[in-house]
Formats: sequence, structure tokens, C-alpha cells
Amino acid sequence: MNDNNDILRVDGLKKTFLKDKAAVDGVSFAFSRGEFVGLLGPNGAGKTTTIKMLTGLIRPSSGAIYYFGSDFQKESQKTKALIGVVPQQNNLDRDLTAYENLYLHAILYGIPKAARKARIDELLDFSGLTDYRNRQVKSFSGGTMRRLVILRALLHEPKILFLDEPTVGLDPQIRRVIWDFIVKINRMKNTTILLTTHYIEEAERLCKRVLIINDGLIIVDGDPETLKDGIGRFVLEVHKDDGIEEEFFDNRSDALAALEKSTYPCKVRGVTLEDVFLRLTGRRINV
Amino acid sequence: MFNGLHAVLYRELSIYRTRALKQMLSSSLSPLLFLIAFGWGFGRDVTVGGLSYISFLIPGLITMNSLNQSFAISAEINISRFYFHTFDEYLIAPVSYASIAIGEAMFGVFRGLLAAIIIFVYAFIFHVTLSFNPIFFVAILLHTFIFSFLAVTTSMVVKDHSGQALVNNFAITPMIFLCGTFYPIDKLPYAFKLLVYVFPLTYSTKVIRASLTGGEVSFIYVGLMVFYCIMFFLTSLWALRSVEA
Ligand SMILES: Nc1ncnc2c1ncn2[C@@H]1O[C@H](COP(=O)(O)OP(=O)(O)O)[C@@H](O)[C@H]1O
Ligand SMILES: [Mg+2]
Repeated sequence: MNDNNDILRVDGLKKTFLKDKAAVDGVSFAFSRGEFVGLLGPNGAGKTTTIKMLTGLIRPSSGAIYYFGSDFQKESQKTKALIGVVPQQNNLDRDLTAYENLYLHAILYGIPKAARKARIDELLDFSGLTDYRNRQVKSFSGGTMRRLVILRALLHEPKILFLDEPTVGLDPQIRRVIWDFIVKINRMKNTTILLTTHYIEEAERLCKRVLIINDGLIIVDGDPETLKDGIGRFVLEVHKDDGIEEEFFDNRSDALAALEKSTYPCKVRGVTLEDVFLRLTGRRINV
Repeated sequence: MFNGLHAVLYRELSIYRTRALKQMLSSSLSPLLFLIAFGWGFGRDVTVGGLSYISFLIPGLITMNSLNQSFAISAEINISRFYFHTFDEYLIAPVSYASIAIGEAMFGVFRGLLAAIIIFVYAFIFHVTLSFNPIFFVAILLHTFIFSFLAVTTSMVVKDHSGQALVNNFAITPMIFLCGTFYPIDKLPYAFKLLVYVFPLTYSTKVIRASLTGGEVSFIYVGLMVFYCIMFFLTSLWALRSVEA
């Protein structure tokens, strides 16, 4: 039943807050070591609820979670040491310095006293935050806080890192800095990563595998290129009076031929995961 | 095992350091007003149960002020749960719920003891002489642990800040006014007496007052304090276990 090669395995995970409707409605998946997975879906799809169940902040209504084959519900305290979490909202202690925030985390995760300082300074250096070491967090910009939260999640060298909308609300150039940082973590430390996002570009650029979630259900699971191939590589956008219609084609020449024939203003472009989502659900991820 | 406890204390004390002065000042004011209003206002001639009223009042203020400060950790835990979400860091960490509960409670005890010391300073200033039964030290620890564990419990159970305000207004404030901190409870009507004997503050106040004014300490009451302390420790564990972020 439990394959120990899977770092994480989830079976029929479900969470119902209100009696009638499930926020997460029975999701199943498994990750192996070093995978970089994206959980992509619109706001309210159930991404945060999923992450919270996987990290022990919310108890599932039903379903099971296994880390390295062991049941998370039964062995949660021990297993939590293997998990790193970057929550959707930065939850740093604003009155403490960067160093103190990291030191607190080091105590919580049982890093021996003798190793704490060196470990913190090494990571501050790894993420380019050394200059912020002794400053109170409340003086930090959003991007710097975000990097510190990510850094904190790495302090105890987790085997799997959960990032819940890591770049939401950040400037485009800061977003790129964070992206580079996350990719570096995955490559250099071989940390398994599950990142949630509602940004198409983020999922396409970073993730080798994408789970698309809608209304609490995972509607598709695969690598972005294959998913896009599945619906055709090119889109003809037909700008009708009552909105844009999309038609899908396997190659550019077919799309261009259709464009010639159309009487509406048209545009040909490559497909994105947004189109995959639209194709499956009839709505867009970002409205 | 002790990581959670150590981490909680590290955090709370690091933050407390930056606010110590403000918090000491604010916990000094209201007992001073009570002392002026009731201590001076009633004058030294009024006696209660064989004590001058001010000698009666001082131990009451010790229980009140330390209760207020110990219980105040609940408001801070609320802020860290609902606004900054820093409490989630404890919940996702590989530490036991007991170590979080005890860590928070120890911080509550620390604040409660500081609040008690303020009243001793006032007692000195107002020339009130107190006698010390060693039981006092046990009692003040039990008292502050009781209300710290109660604070941890309620801060986990409430769903938002206004829920916490409700607990303060409907449990803590009535307790402070009914449980013998300002007057002996034997004068209360029977129905109120029944109510008052459910509140743990009644026993804290009786034991602490007796231990500071040369009265006889009832070991049944000390036993009841131990009972409340264990009970609220268990409720805090239950509350932490069932809390969802
Ligand atoms: N604590 C909660 N109580 C009730 N409903 C909730 C709670 N948390 C989330 N929900 C609901 O569950 C659904 C999924 O939310 P969430 O997991 O936060 O979505 P996402 O992170 O994908 O935006 C939403 O409809 C949201 O309103
Ligand atoms: Mg979310």
C-alpha cells in the first residue's frame, strides 16, 4: 500500500468546513524525491487548505497522508521535522530581528545550540540576506520578508518544502529573485518542492509537474509541456462582440489558415496552462 | 522534549524585553487606583475580619493583579494566532503540545509574579506590614499557573478577538469582583456564594490572604488549587490539540 520511494503520498484527502461543500474534495497524489511540483488553481480552489492538511495545521475530514510511508496522523510530531513550510501570509515575528526569528526556528526544530549560529549565518549568506541579520523584521520590504520566510523554512534542512503562493503581491523583478532562489534550493539541496500558485507563468517556468486544482478536485496531473500538447500547441483567439473564443490547433499553419477565414479580429498565440484550465473547466484561472 | 518550551520562552521573553517598561507601568496603575480609592478612601479605621481594610485589600490586589497579568497572555496569543499567524510556527514544529502549553504558561507565571511584586512595593509604600507564611510562594505559583493555563485554553478555543473579549467580560471580570478580592465573601447572598465557590479565584484569594496576614491556611483550598491547575493544564492540552489554523 505504501511505496517507500514516495516522499509523500496522499490518498483521498478531503476537508469539509461547512456541512454541504468540501473545500478539498478527495485528492490523491504521490511525490518522489527532488520533484518540483506546482499546485495550480484559481483563488478558493483549495490550495491553502491542502497545504495546511499536509503540514498539520488542519485535520483532514477524511483521507490519509504518508511521509516516507509512515502515517502523518499517527506520527505527526516526528514527521514534522522533515517538512518545511512557507505559508501564504508571512508569519514572522515583526518585533524580532531576522536572526532572532531564525534562532527561534532553530530551537523549535532541535538544532543543537552549538550549530545554530553557524547554520543561520550560512543560510543568510546563501540567500543574500546577511545585511539584514540584526534588523527588526518590521522594517523589511515584502520581498525581503518573503525571502526570510523561505530561508527560515530551510533552516532544519527539510526533505520537502511547501510554498503557498510564494510570490503573490510582489513586484515582477522581486518575483524573479524569489523564483531563482526557489530553483536554487531544488537544484542544490535536492529538496522536494510543492508550490501553490494561481500565476500561470510561475507554474510553467518553475514546475516540472503541475497538478491543476479546481473546486477542491485535482482535474489534471502532468508536466506542463505534455498538458499543453494535449490540447494543441496553438490557439486562435477570436475576438467576438460578446468575448473571446479560443480554438486550438496542433501547428501554427493550421491556426493561421483558420485566422484567414475568420470574419472577426483574431490573434494566434502559443497555448498556456490557462488554456488547459479553460478547456477543462470552461472558466479562467485568473479573472 | 524541551524544545517547544524553550522556544516559546525564548520568543516571549525576547519580545517582552522590548516592552517590559510599558507593561510594568500599565500593570502598576489600576491597583494603585484601588489602593487610593478603597485603602485611603475608607481609611485605616475600617476593619474587616479583624484586619485593617488596607491589610485585607493588599493580598486581594496581589491575586487580582497577578491574575490580570497571567491571563493577559491570552490576548497576546490571540494576536499571534489571528493577526500575525506566528503561532502557526509552533503548530507545525516537531514539538509536543504539552511543551507549548507549559512554555506559554511559564511566561504567564513570570508576568503574574512581576505583577505581585508591584503590590509588595505598594504595601511597603503604604506602610502595610505583611507576615509571610512559606505557603504563600506555593500559592502564588499555583494561582498564576491556574490562570495562565486557563489563558492558553481560552486563547485556543475562541474563534476571534471578540470571543476573547467575551471571556474577559463574562468570566474574568466577574471573578475579580465576586471572589473575595475586595471584601469577604461571607456577606454574599447564598446563590452568589454557590457561584463563587466554583471560581478558582476564591480559593487563591483565601489561601494567599491567609498566608500573608497570619491567618490559618486551609489545605483543602490548596488542594483545590492543585486540582484547578491540573484541570486547566489538561484543558489547554485538549484545546491545543484541537485547534486549527
Ligand atoms: N477556515 C475556513 N472555514 C471555512 N471555509 C474555509 C476556511 N478556509 C478556507 N475555506 C474555504 O475553502 C475554500 C478553499 O479555500 P483555500 O484553500 O484557501 O483556497 P486557495 O488557497 O486555493 O485560494 C474556499 O471556498 C474558502 O472560502
Ligand atoms: Mg490560498
